[in-house]
Amino acid sequence: MSTFKENKNVSDRSGSDRQRHKDKIDKAIKDGIHDIVADESIIGKDGKKKIKIPVKGIKEYRFVYGDNENKKNVGSAQGKDIQRGQKVGQKDKGSPGQPNKAGNEKGEEFYEVEITLEELAAYLFDEFKLPNMQKKKFKKISSKSFKRHGYRNEGIRPRLDKKETIKKKIKRKKKAIKNNTYDPDAEDRFGFHHDDLRYRFIKEKKKPTSNAIIFFVMDVSGSMTKEKKFLARSFFFLLYHFIRSKYENTEHCFVSHDTVASEVNEEDFFSKGSTGGTLVSTGIDKCLDIIETRYHPSTWNVYVFQCSDGDNWPEDNAGCFKSATKLADLSQFYGYCEIEPAENRGRWLQMSNLSELLSPLLRDNFKIAEIRKKDDVWLAFQRFFGGFRE
Amino acid sequence: MSDWSIDSLEEWDDRIIELAKSHNLDWFPISYEICDYYAMIGNMAYHGMPLHYRHWSYGKSFERTHQMYNLGAEGLPYELIINSDPSIAYLMRENPFYLQLLIMCHCVGHSDFFKNNLTFAETGPENIIQRFKNAKKRIDSYIEDPSIGIEKVERILDSAHALSLHIPPNCKEYIPHRERRKELITRIKSGDPLVINRNPDQFPIDDEIDLLSFISEMALNLEDWERDIINIVRLESAYFMPQIRTKIMNEGWACFWHYRLMNELDLPQKFHIPFLKSHNQVVTPHLGRINPYHLGFHLFLKIEERYGLEECFIAREVCHDESFLRQYLTEEDCHELNLFSYSLYKRDYVVNEISDGDGWKEIKKSLIRQIGSNSVPKIIIKEVKSNNVLRIHHEHDGRDLELGYAEKVVDYITTLWGGVVRLDTVIEDEPFEI
Repeated sequence: MSTFKENKNVSDRSGSDRQRHKDKIDKAIKDGIHDIVADESIIGKDGKKKIKIPVKGIKEYRFVYGDNENKKNVGSAQGKDIQRGQKVGQKDKGSPGQPNKAGNEKGEEFYEVEITLEELAAYLFDEFKLPNMQKKKFKKISSKSFKRHGYRNEGIRPRLDKKETIKKKIKRKKKAIKNNTYDPDAEDRFGFHHDDLRYRFIKEKKKPTSNAIIFFVMDVSGSMTKEKKFLARSFFFLLYHFIRSKYENTEHCFVSHDTVASEVNEEDFFSKGSTGGTLVSTGIDKCLDIIETRYHPSTWNVYVFQCSDGDNWPEDNAGCFKSATKLADLSQFYGYCEIEPAENRGRWLQMSNLSELLSPLLRDNFKIAEIRKKDDVWLAFQRFFGGFRE
Repeated sequence: MSDWSIDSLEEWDDRIIELAKSHNLDWFPISYEICDYYAMIGNMAYHGMPLHYRHWSYGKSFERTHQMYNLGAEGLPYELIINSDPSIAYLMRENPFYLQLLIMCHCVGHSDFFKNNLTFAETGPENIIQRFKNAKKRIDSYIEDPSIGIEKVERILDSAHALSLHIPPNCKEYIPHRERRKELITRIKSGDPLVINRNPDQFPIDDEIDLLSFISEMALNLEDWERDIINIVRLESAYFMPQIRTKIMNEGWACFWHYRLMNELDLPQKFHIPFLKSHNQVVTPHLGRINPYHLGFHLFLKIEERYGLEECFIAREVCHDESFLRQYLTEEDCHELNLFSYSLYKRDYVVNEISDGDGWKEIKKSLIRQIGSNSVPKIIIKEVKSNNVLRIHHEHDGRDLELGYAEKVVDYITTLWGGVVRLDTVIEDEPFEI
C-alpha cells in the first residue's frame, strides 16, 4: 500500500539558498557596475535613461569537454533526409535544438539587468556622503533627505530591512505553528518567503541643509589627451550624479583651464577641449576668485574636485602650491585626481609632477587619487568618499 | 477545482498495485506527498531529498526550473521520486486526475528499478534519508559556528561540488591510501611476485580517480570540518552516481510501465486521450539531442518485441546505460530513431554520420561516449611531488577540455589541496599544462 500525505507546509525551503544566489548576482551587478561606470555609453546620459548592464551568471565550474571537431554529439534528427556534411547549426547561435547554447554542459548565462542612472546611483552611492559638511549661517538650500516612511514589499536590495524581514518571518512561523502547518521540532528550516521581505520605503523629504558649492576643475590643455579627458570626464560625471542624487540644489561651478581659466557651463565642460599649455594655478585662482565674490566660506561649504594630468610649467609651481594651500584651507574638502594613463608616463619628464608638489597638503580634507585606467575611476571615488580600499 | 481527492487516488492506487504485482514488478512501498507547484520545484532543486544541506546552487537550480516553467514548459508532468525505502514521491496538487495516475504508474516503474537494478546495490536506500539529515545537521552547525560561517563553508562546498563527479563510476568504497600502502609493503615483504617490482614510496601508489576521497585523506592543511564537508559531497555523489549511469534505462523502464499499466487500468474513456497526449509529450525526441525517456522507452519496447518480456526484466536487473546500449541498440534502432552525429567544424555544426549501414556503428560509439559518467572527463591524480605539488592528468580521448572551466576547477582543487596543482592535458593535439 502506498501512502498519501498532503503537504501543507508553507515554509519555502529553497528561500535562503535563493537569497544567497541572489546576493551573489547582486554582487556581480555591483562589480559589473564598476566595470561600466566609465563606459562610453553612459557618460553624458541623463538620469532617467535606462541602461542595460550584462551580469554574468554565477557558474558552477566542472571539468567539461569543449566543442571541437573530435567531440561528436549524437542526437535525433527530424527525419531521414539529413546528409553527411550538412550544416545543422552555428557556434554562438547554438547547435540544433539548443538555441544559444553550444555543448550540453557549459554555456554563458547572462542576466541582463536594466536600470536607470538614478538607480545606478542608488546602488553606487548608498554609503557615500560629502565629507565634513558643516552648518553655515543661512540654511536656504535643501538636501533630499531620505525620510523613512514605513515599509514596502518591493524595493531595491540596499534598502532591505533585515530586522523587519525576520520579524515578519517569525510572525508567519508562529501562525504556521498555531495552524499546525509547520512542526517546530521538524528538522526542516522555516525559510524566508517573498512576502516576508520588507524594504524601507523612503520618501524624499526636503530638509534644510547647509549651503554647498561644488567646484569641478579640469585641465583641458594639450597634454590632456583624448583618453585622459575621457577619464577625467568619467570621474566628473560620476561625481555630478552622486551629488545630484544626494544633495538637491547644491550649486555647481565648472572651471576649465589651460594657461587661462574660465568658468564654463555644464555642457561645455563635459564636451570641449583645448590645445594650450598648462598653468594649473590659473584654475585654482579662478576658484578662489569665484569664492571671494559669490560663495563666502562663512555661509558656504566649499568642495573642490580637480582633475589634471599632473603636468605643469615649472615656473608656475610656487604660485600653484600657494593657491592650492589657500583653497584647501577654506574648503570642506579638496580632492585632486591625477589622470595618468600608464603608457604615457615619462613623456613630459621635464615637467613637474603636480601630485608630488601638492602632497605636503595631504590631510583629512585634502586627498589625492590617481586614475590610470577606467577601473580606477571607481577607486578614486571610494578614496574620496568611502572607506579606503588600497 | 481539482477533479480528484486523496480517497480517489488511494482507490486507484490499489488497482495500480494489483496490476503491477501481476506483472511481477517488485518495488519499495511508495509514500506520496502532495504539494503545490512551488514546493514541487523546491523539492526538485534538492533532488527530492526531504532534508538536504544548504548551498546557493540549489537556489539557482530553483530559479532555473522556475524560469523554464514560465517560458512555457508548464505543460510538462513533473515527476520526482527518490531511491529510498520507502520511496518518497511527489505529486503536484495542480495536476489533473489522469496525470496523477500516470505519474503514480511511472513511479512504480522507477521504484522497481531502484530496488532491482544492480547498479543501485550499494546505495543504501533504507537509511539514505537519515544520512542526508545528518549531513545537513553537520553542515548547518558549521554555518552557525561563529568561527566558521557560511562564507568558509561555501568555499569548501563550491570546490568539492566541482569535483563531485570524479569518483569511480561503480562508486566502490575508498580504501585509504595509508592502508593500501601498508598492505603493499606487507605483500612485497612476503615476496608476492605480483607486486615485487612495485615501489611503495610512489605517492600515490596507484593512479587515483577518487579525487575527493584522496584529497580528504591526504591534503595536509584541511581542518576536520572541511574534511567532513568533502566526505559529505562524496557520499552524496556516490548515492546519485547510479542514477546518472542509468538515466536512459531508468526513464525508459518507468515509461514502459506507465504506458502499459495505464492502458490496462480500464481508465474512464475521457482520460484516455489526455493520457496519450501526455505520454507522447514525455517520449518525444528532442531535436539534436537525446531524450532519455524517448530512447529508453523505444529500446524496452524493442527488446520485448525481439526477445520477450523476460529479457526486459533481465536487462533492468543487470545493465546500466552503457552495457544496455552496447547490447541492445541495433542498426534498425538507430535508423528508426533518426540518430545522427555532428560536431563543430570551424564555426559550424556539421553532420558527421547518419544512421545508414556505414554510419550507425560510429553513431553508437559516439552515443556511448556521451552518456552517464562517460560524459565526465577522466581526471587522474598521478603524483604528489616534493613541496606538496599535486600533479593531475587528464586522460585525453580526442575530446579537448573546455579550458576556461578547467582553469577554474584547478583553482578549486588548489583550494582543497592547499598546495600547487598542475594539470596536464592535450589541446588541439598539443600537450598543455595548467
